[in-house]
Formats: sequence, structure tokens, C-alpha cells
Amino acid sequence: MKDIINLITAPVYSFSAAVIVFAIMIYKIEAFASKTMGKILMGGTVLLICWLFTDPVFTQNFFLTNDNVPIIYLVLLVAWTTWYSLYKGINNDKRIEQGLPPLEGTPENREKVWAWPNLVYTELFCMIAATIFLIAWAIAFKGPLEEPANPTWAPNPAKAPWYFLGLQEMLVYFDPWLAGVVLPGLILVGLIAIPYIDTNPKGNGYFTFKERKFAITAYLFGWLVLWNFLIIIGTFMRGPNWVFYGPFEVWDAHKVLASNNVNISEYVWVYLFKTGIPSNIFLREIAGILMTIGYFLVGVPAITKLWGKKYLANMGAIRYYILVFLILMTASLPIKMYLRWAINLKYIVFMPEFEFNI
Amino acid sequence: MKKEPGMAYNMKTLNKVFAILSVVFLIAIVWVVLDDYIRPWKVVQVKGMKVKGEVLKEKILAEEKSIDSEKLAEVKSNIESAQKNLDANEEKVETLEDDLAEVRKSIYLQNMTNGENGSKSQEFQFKYEHAKVAGHSSHEKKYAKKMDAFKALFAKGKDDLKTYQSKEKELIASLKLLNDEKVNAEGSLKKLTGVKSRLIAAYESTQPSPVWALRNMPFIDFLDPTIKIDQIVVENVTEDRYFQQVPRVDRCTTCHLFIDQPGFEDKENPYRTHPKVETLAVGLKSAHPKKKFGCTSCHQGEGHRVFDFNAPVHTPQTAEQGKEWAEKYHWHEPHKIPQPMYPLNHTEASCTKCHGDQQHIPMATKLNEGKKLIKTYGCYACHKIEGWEHLKKPAPSLKKITGKTNKEFMKNWIWAPHNFNKHSKMPAFFNQSNNKQPEHKVKNIAEVNAMAEYLAEKSEKYKPLVKYVGGNSENGKELIQTIGCVGCHQVEGIDEPYNLVKSRKGAYLTGTGSKVDPDWLVSWLKKPKHYQADTIMPSFRLSDTEANDIAAYLMSLKNKTFEELEFSPLDKKVRDDLLVEYFSAFEPIDAAKKKLAVMSDHERTMELGKRSIGKYGCYSCHDIEGFAPDRAPIGPELTKVGSKPITQFGYGQQHDNVGHTRQEWFSAHLKNPKVWDIGVPKQFKDLNRMPNFYLTDKEISSMVTVLLGQVSDFVPLAGKKNLNASEKLAEDGKKVVEKFNCQGCHKIDGVGGDILAAYEDDYNQGPPYLVKEGHRVDSQWFYNFLKKVHPIRPYVKVRMPSFNYTNDELNKIISYFNAESAQVSFSTKPDFVAADGSVKWLPGEKAAAKEMWDELACTSCHSGGFNNEEAQGPNLHFAKKRLRPDWVQNVWLKDPTKVMPYTVMPNFWEGGTVSAVEGVLGDDPKKQIQAIYKYIYEFGYDKSPTPFKHQ
Repeated sequence: MKDIINLITAPVYSFSAAVIVFAIMIYKIEAFASKTMGKILMGGTVLLICWLFTDPVFTQNFFLTNDNVPIIYLVLLVAWTTWYSLYKGINNDKRIEQGLPPLEGTPENREKVWAWPNLVYTELFCMIAATIFLIAWAIAFKGPLEEPANPTWAPNPAKAPWYFLGLQEMLVYFDPWLAGVVLPGLILVGLIAIPYIDTNPKGNGYFTFKERKFAITAYLFGWLVLWNFLIIIGTFMRGPNWVFYGPFEVWDAHKVLASNNVNISEYVWVYLFKTGIPSNIFLREIAGILMTIGYFLVGVPAITKLWGKKYLANMGAIRYYILVFLILMTASLPIKMYLRWAINLKYIVFMPEFEFNI
Repeated sequence: MKKEPGMAYNMKTLNKVFAILSVVFLIAIVWVVLDDYIRPWKVVQVKGMKVKGEVLKEKILAEEKSIDSEKLAEVKSNIESAQKNLDANEEKVETLEDDLAEVRKSIYLQNMTNGENGSKSQEFQFKYEHAKVAGHSSHEKKYAKKMDAFKALFAKGKDDLKTYQSKEKELIASLKLLNDEKVNAEGSLKKLTGVKSRLIAAYESTQPSPVWALRNMPFIDFLDPTIKIDQIVVENVTEDRYFQQVPRVDRCTTCHLFIDQPGFEDKENPYRTHPKVETLAVGLKSAHPKKKFGCTSCHQGEGHRVFDFNAPVHTPQTAEQGKEWAEKYHWHEPHKIPQPMYPLNHTEASCTKCHGDQQHIPMATKLNEGKKLIKTYGCYACHKIEGWEHLKKPAPSLKKITGKTNKEFMKNWIWAPHNFNKHSKMPAFFNQSNNKQPEHKVKNIAEVNAMAEYLAEKSEKYKPLVKYVGGNSENGKELIQTIGCVGCHQVEGIDEPYNLVKSRKGAYLTGTGSKVDPDWLVSWLKKPKHYQADTIMPSFRLSDTEANDIAAYLMSLKNKTFEELEFSPLDKKVRDDLLVEYFSAFEPIDAAKKKLAVMSDHERTMELGKRSIGKYGCYSCHDIEGFAPDRAPIGPELTKVGSKPITQFGYGQQHDNVGHTRQEWFSAHLKNPKVWDIGVPKQFKDLNRMPNFYLTDKEISSMVTVLLGQVSDFVPLAGKKNLNASEKLAEDGKKVVEKFNCQGCHKIDGVGGDILAAYEDDYNQGPPYLVKEGHRVDSQWFYNFLKKVHPIRPYVKVRMPSFNYTNDELNKIISYFNAESAQVSFSTKPDFVAADGSVKWLPGEKAAAKEMWDELACTSCHSGGFNNEEAQGPNLHFAKKRLRPDWVQNVWLKDPTKVMPYTVMPNFWEGGTVSAVEGVLGDDPKKQIQAIYKYIYEFGYDKSPTPFKHQ
């Protein structure tokens, strides 16, 4: 059982599984957002964690490592908030179908109360309670301080803080300038841009899913699959030398993985045309460059034609094309991941001469 | 309950929640403070107070016992009677005391007045001088007046003060007269009980008190706590932090509270006193006082970390101790610590980093032993170690090997030396856990065959110096036992006490008859350098009969089973395959095969032989034809192996069997170097080649100590042992002394003298101790003696051999002895010698000397040249040339037992304190000694005895 889990948690399987589960979740949203399902999920998670506790390796690697405690919280909290918001949203959707206002819009829920003490006092409670919680946490789980830093003896694996492990995971597939600068930059810019791109007033002040199907799905995909899932991978399944380890696998620093990565240019010139690598770098990389440009040149009209006409009309050209660009950039991450897993692809464009690798 | 309008919650409930939260918050804050305040090391210190209290209590009890109770009672009664006397004069005392108080009041007042008048007079003096310079004549006059007035007042005041002071003195004196008796009595009481009362005060300071509690209370314990971190900053021994050398900060004494205080030797750690606290370390007068060297300079570990037991990275000596610590102190294995503390059994490793230039480090018994073992087994030959380069190859030259033994023996010997001689220092390369499998074994057999063929082919022809004609083996055995062979060799079959000498400088001689050619053996015994020019085996100036007798004995030592072994013949196919593998390292396999094809059968064997010798590194220890003397040794360098990160050690499949510390890796490696190959699929050519020495655990432990000490740490000059000019000379000489194993026979300044184990009944029959030898003998004589040995002690059967020194080595030995004794190279003639060389006598001195000479019966032992009795001491006629005058007079005659505790020479003058012969020279020991020396000097010869005939 544990061996199977060690095997199927490998990024290629587990990421695919995550995508499929996510798709099923959206497709069968009503079943997912039901109370029964919530109970099953919650009970299942608790049982899972209890079971994981019984494994010495997992316990040693994760539960006893103080910096992993927040990730355990994160998994539980993210699962719960996702389910809860969707549960509420689906509930409202049913009401709207029946011609009723959403639950948040009923007259008794629109009644107003005094800010003092109803808000300010309770906020104070929260502050005190949170402080107590942090104190207890800090004392119970000591800060994971290690020996004085020694530049000649770096830790292996050298891991970023847990909230950056998704980004660090991206470094496996992209060059640092992309995974460390461009993509995180786009995440920030994209998040900032949301209110400007998304001018749809529906869902303001109440939970809903059906009225905001695309927005919620797109966001949850980025948040759950591309962000949280990669954090979990980066935390639990990346060991020494950033090699993949199953959750029950001992972290042996000497683990060897055969990964002979190949560039697009090598596929084209060596494997396909059976010639040597051209010395002109642009000629050498021409296939990759064309593919990259083609991704956008073909991607934008294709999306518009298949799906975006309605949005183009509603949002206007600028908003729409920014949105499509962001979607394409987001999609590039799973695409590159799959290319790596499927054909050992190293780089699409490989120009170390300019430190420009895609 | 109905809600109020505009309210979502009930106010009372909210207040209750607030109250509960506030209380929990308060508890949380107290928790924070306590969590910060209670630290493991504080608990240790509080317990330490109790431990100290116990020790002081014992001391108080002991002190109490030592106080003479009768005397105490007497002193007490004295005080009482003095008090009575004082009481009788009560009125008188009171008046005197009142008067004294009055006078002191006046003195105080007068001092104040004087101060005021004095300063004012100076102020006006300044003003006056200022006015004068500025030319204000009116001011000038005014100020002059005032100045004078104050000066007069000041002068008068001073005078008055003196009056008062003399009165005070008078009063004090008369009071003292009355008080004296009591004060004296009290003084003697203090003398009697002073130590005890100080001990009691010290004891009280170890008991918790309100003030103690206050000083250590949270929040105010920053002011003046008694429980605090104690730290030593070690400027001279630095540590590397981010490529920067910073002083060590050792806080070990925070818990090891009494490490420098004798009296805690039997306490539990961390309260125990440091071993050898007064001599070795920590103590103020020891070689490494605490303030200067701290703790981690020697012990390593993270000295600045003090939180709990794990913080400074204590290291257990054994796995069992680790388990015990885990239970007691929650100890766990450290990680990412470049240099954990040395386990206590390896602490001596630290000596090397500061004392690396010294051949022998006093008090570092285990380290010295380990170094000796590394030299014995010749580890340095395959593994370069900086500072060991001067050592010669540990094994004999094989350049004339066919003269000594035959091919068949060589093959069987190379295959398994311990089959022939279980004490062999030659390690076993074959039939080990990683190469005894049949597929490896056939290849090894081919290699051994080829190596023996190669060695035989390349061997020079050797023509023995003399022929073995047979001899008396009993006589030979006696010679081996008595002439000194056992100083270097252990020999099979010899008797007690000679077999008690466990020297390992030379080979353990067993089965010699099955090994060597008898003619070779006799020649070797007669003149070792005839066979190997640079051998350290000396000539014992054996006669032909003696040499033949010894050879007869050694040839009688046979190893029949070994003789009957037949080594498997060379498998040519295997040989060729191996060669192809060698050739194809840098060439395609076809080219390799072609290369082989053009070689003749003989060439192929030679090629494999040479390659195998190179592969196994035989040339590192043996001189072998075809291998340049400066060819790099085969093993990895060990100079800095003690700093090699543990992550860089190859564990193979042994991660769970061998602990993750350097010492455990080294131990496993020395125990079985092949252990790392177990379970690892390796090709034949990649198999671990480090051979197996079959070391004992004790040997391994000592050697590991040495290896651990080979660190890359930088130690500033100020922290190191820097040798001065004479110490450097001494070190150079010690290297030569060690090379020729002088200390195998002589105990040199307390070190060595292995052979003396055979002479425990009477050391006089063994080689003499060399104590400050440079002070004893004349350099020129010494040089001549070492060059051409001549007889000194006819009664000693052990022979001083004739070594094969170079002139440079000779001079180094002499410089060493001179430097160790703080002597100049050439001794001057004594004062009593006239220009023509005759002795200048004082009146009557010569007669006195003669009288003593007869009275002390010098010639009864020093009979040489005087009578025909058996000599018990050296011939004194040669003392003039041999001994330094200062040594004879101020060391030897004064107290011979100081030099040689076992000597039969009587201690006539008992350290120069008593007269040896009463009534002579006014019973002045110094004069007597000088006279007798003059006497000896006068009849002394200006030459040495005829040297032995040298080979």
C-alpha cells in the first residue's frame, strides 16, 4: 500500500490526478458541495492523518518537523474553506433558481447592528485569542533554528519557507529568470489586475457558484492545483538534491535518478534531421522560437474562437486580451511540466549565450 | 433570549468572554516569562550550589577535627581573663575613648578649615600674579595682602593639625596598652579558627537566601545575578566562522562549575574536577590554564552553546554511553556540526594541531602510542601526512630479493603474510572479504604470480659476503638474547625474561629457516649494509663464529606447513584479460588487444607484475626496481583527514552498521578496510585496495586518535607551541634517534628503553639510561664514539651496535642531546687545569683526594687499569676524555641515583649535603668532590680505548 502511494505520488501521476480530481469536482460540483460529502471529506482527512501518524518515516520527516506544522493546518483549512464556500454558493444557486434571494440577501440577514460592541469588541477577542494561540504555538513548537550557518556545509535539501515551495517547485521546470522573476511577477500583477479585469457585479455580498462559474474555476485551479498542490509536493515529496521521495520513503541523500534531459533543438536537429547542431544559435533554436511564438499566435485566436466570443463582447478588447494572456501564461506551467515528464524536455528555447532559456 | 435592537450579541456574554480571554492571556504571559527564565543550565548551577555545600561541609568537619581543642580552650580563657582586666580599667578606657573622639572631631574640623584657607590662598596668588603681569598695580597690592593673610592662616592651621595628630597618637598608644592583651588573644583565636570561619562563610554563600532569590528573580536578574553564564574568551586559539578567524568563546564552565577546583574529583559530572588539573590543563599553574586555552581548544565542540546537554555537542565514547546519555540527558546525534566534541578517549587528538612539530608530546600517552603504531605499520608510506616526510620507507628493499629468498616463498608470502608470521607488519591484500570470491581470486592469483616474477626478474644478483658453515644454535640463541637483538626484534623460542621485550621496530623473527637463504643470513648478520646500503639494521661486530651461531638458531626456526604450500600457477588467459583491461583504460578494446598481441609471453607477465605492484602500491613501502623513489604514494593524503566532513566519507552499505562520526568510520576502516565494498557491486579493478593489518581494538583506538588530530584548523602563532632554536635542534635529533631506534635500548630522558623489560632484576646489566646525556658526555668524544664504538662498560653484555649513520645524522644526535641539556657543543677545560695540562692542587688537597680514593674504595668497582677484579663500573682512566667536568662534579658525584636510580654507585655525598669521608677537607662536600675529580682527571688518559673492529 505504502509502496503504491510512494509510486503514485510522483509528480507526474499526482499532478495529473490533482487535475482530474479538480475537473471532477467542478463537473460534479453539487455532489462535492453537499453536507454528506463535507462529512466524508472531513472524516476521511482525519482518518488519513491518523494513518499517516502510524508510519515512522512520515512522522519523523513531517510531523516532528516544526516548520511543517503550518502546512498541516493549511491542508485542512484550505479543504474546509473551499468546501464551505462552494457549499454556500450551491445553496444560494438553488435558492436563486427557485426565485428566492440568496441567503445573505434575506431581510433578517440585512438587519444592521452597532459597530461597538458587535464588531470592535469581538475583534479585540480575536486579537487576544490569536495572541494566546501564537504564544502557545511558539512555546510548544520551538522555532526550527539550526546550527550557525556554515557556507561550506549547506543544508540538503535547501528549502525555501513553506509558502514559497510552490515557486521553488517551478524551478525544476523553468529557468530561474522565468520561475523566479517573470512568473511570480505575473502572479502578483494578475492578482492586482483581477478587480480591473473582472467587472462582473454578480456574487457581491453573497456566495454563489453558478453565476461565477468561470471566475471561480479559473481561480481555484491556480490556487489549489498550481499553488497549494505544488507546496505540498515541495514540502513533503522533495528531499535531498530536490529529488522526488514518496511520503513513506526514507530520505537517502544518495538516491540516484536517471534524468537525461533533452532540448527541443536536439530533438529537431539530432533526432529528427539526423544532422549536427547548427552553429548559428538562432538557426539552432528556430524550432523552439517558432513554437513559443506560435503558442501565443495560435493560442489567442483559438481560445477566442472556441470559448471567448461572449467574454470579448462583454469585457472589451483590452481586458479580454490581458485575461487570455494570463491564462496562457498560467497554462504554460502545466504544459512545460508534462513535456518534461513525457519527453524529458529540458528547454524549448535554449540560449545560454544570452542566459535566455524557456 | 431576545436581543436588544442594534445588537447581534448579548453584552453580558461578551463581557464574560472577555474576562475569560483576559485570564488565559495572563496565564500565557506568565508562561512566556517562565519558559524564558527556566533554562537547563540554571538548574545545573542551582544543583551545583548543593554539591559545593556538601564539599565545604566535609571540609568544615575535617577542619574542626584538626583544631586542637585544648589550645582552643586555652585561647578562650585567655580572652576571658583579658576581658576581666579590661573591665577593671573601664573608667580609664572610657575617658581615653572620649578624649580620642574629641581630638578626632578637632582634626576633622581643622582639615576642612585648612582646605578652605589653602585653596583661597592659591586663588589670590593666581589673581595677584595675573594683576602683576597685566600691570594693575592697585589690584596687585590688594591681592597680595589677601594672599598673605590666607597663607598665614593656612600655615597656622597646619601647625594646629599636627598638634592634634600627635595627641591622637598618644591616646591611641595608651588605649592600645590597655587593649593589647585582649587583641592578641583574639588574634590567636582567629588564627586557630580562621580557616574554619572562612569555610563556614563560603558554605553559607552556597545556601539559598532571600537576597540570593532576589538577585536571581526574573526581570531583575540582569542587575547582579549569581546564576549566570560564565565565559572564557580564548584569543589565541581561534575558530573559523565564515572564513574569518574569531576567538573561541567557551561557556563550558557555566555547568562544569568546579572544573578547576581540586576537591570535586569524585563528584558526578558536570561537577567533577578536571583530571591532571595541576599539571596538564585547566589549573592556574598547569600547562594549559583555563583562562588562556578555554575548553574547546582541546575538546572541540560548540563551546559558546550552553542551553542544554546537547548544545555544546558532547560526544559519547561508545554506543552504550550514547544510549545512557539519551536516557539521562535526551542526548541525540548532532548533525551539521563540522567539529563535534572529541569523545574523551580521543581528546589527545587535539594536541597535534599545536604540538605538531614535536615527535613526543609529554602526557599525550595515547597519541604517542598511536604515532608509534603508524610508524610501525608504515601508514605514512602509502598515505602522505605532512610532517612525516622524513621517515624512510617502512619495509625492506626488494632490489636484491632473490639473494634473500625464493620466488615460491614470495608468492605465498604476498598472498597471505599472516599465514607465515601472525605478527607480520606486512598487511594482507588478498583473500579478503571483498576479493575472496572465486572470480576475483583467480585474478589475484595471476597478479601475485606476475608480481613475484617481476620482482625476481628485476632483482640484482647478490653475492653473499660469507658462507654459512653451520654453528651452535644454543650459542646463537644465547647471543640473540644477550647482545641486544631483542631491542628491535622479537624472536620465536627465546627464554624469559628476553621474550618480555615487545619491540616491534624490526620484524618478528619466526620461521626464518623456511624463508631465507642461510648464506644471505650470515652475511646480513655480519654486515647488513652489504645487502641494503640504507638499512637501519646495525652491525653488532659479530665474529664469523658468532654470526654462524646466530644463523644456526634462526635457520632452525622452520614453518613446515608454509614451506609445503604450493602456489597456483599463473593462468595466462586471466593474465591477458587483466592486461587488456589495463590497456583499454584509454584506448578502444581492439587497440588494447593489438597491443597485447605483439607482446611475448614473458613481457606480458612482466607487464602485469609491474602494473600490479603499482596497483597495490608495494613500491610505497618497498624499494623496487623500476619504480622511482619519488613516485607518489598510493593512498589518499591524511594530513587533514580529521577535518574531512563526515558527509564525504564513503559508507557503502554500512550506514546502519557504522556510526556517523569520524572516529567510528576510522575504526571500522582500520578494523576491516574492505568493509565498504560489502554489498556494493564493483568491478575487479575498482575493489578497495587498502590491505588488512589485523589490528587489535586497542591499536585501532590509538591510531584513530592520531587521525582525528590531523585537522585543517588554523592556530595563531601565539596559541601554538613554538619551538625555540634548541627545541628545534632537539626535534631534528629525535627523528634520527627514532629512525635508529636508540630508545629501543636506552631510556632517554624517561622515554623508551624497551629492552630494559629483560633487565628488571638488575638494570645495571642493561643499556644505561641516558639522562641529560648532552650534559654528561663531551661532544667530541660522543661523535667519535658513535662513529667508532669502543668499550665503556665491560660488564654489560648488550652491545652498543655500530650504526650506519651519515655525518649529518651524527651531528643531529649530538646537537639534540646538547640542546636538551642546555649545553654548548664543546666543554671547556676545568679551572684547575694549568696551561700545560697539569692539575693545579691546593695545599694538602691531593693527599686528601688520595685518602678519599682509598677510603671510598673506588677501584673495587672501577677496577679497569687498577687491578684484575671484575669491573662493576666504567674504567675511570677514560673519564677525562669522556665526561664533562661540570656533570661529574655537580650531577653524578653529588647524587648518582638522580641520573640512574638503579646504579650500584654509592651516593657518598647524598646530594652534596654530607661529607663522604669524615675529617677530610674540613668536611666540605663540595671541596671533597672537586678533589676527587681532580684526582681522577690527573690520572685520566687523553685518549679513548681502542675501538671495536668494525665490519
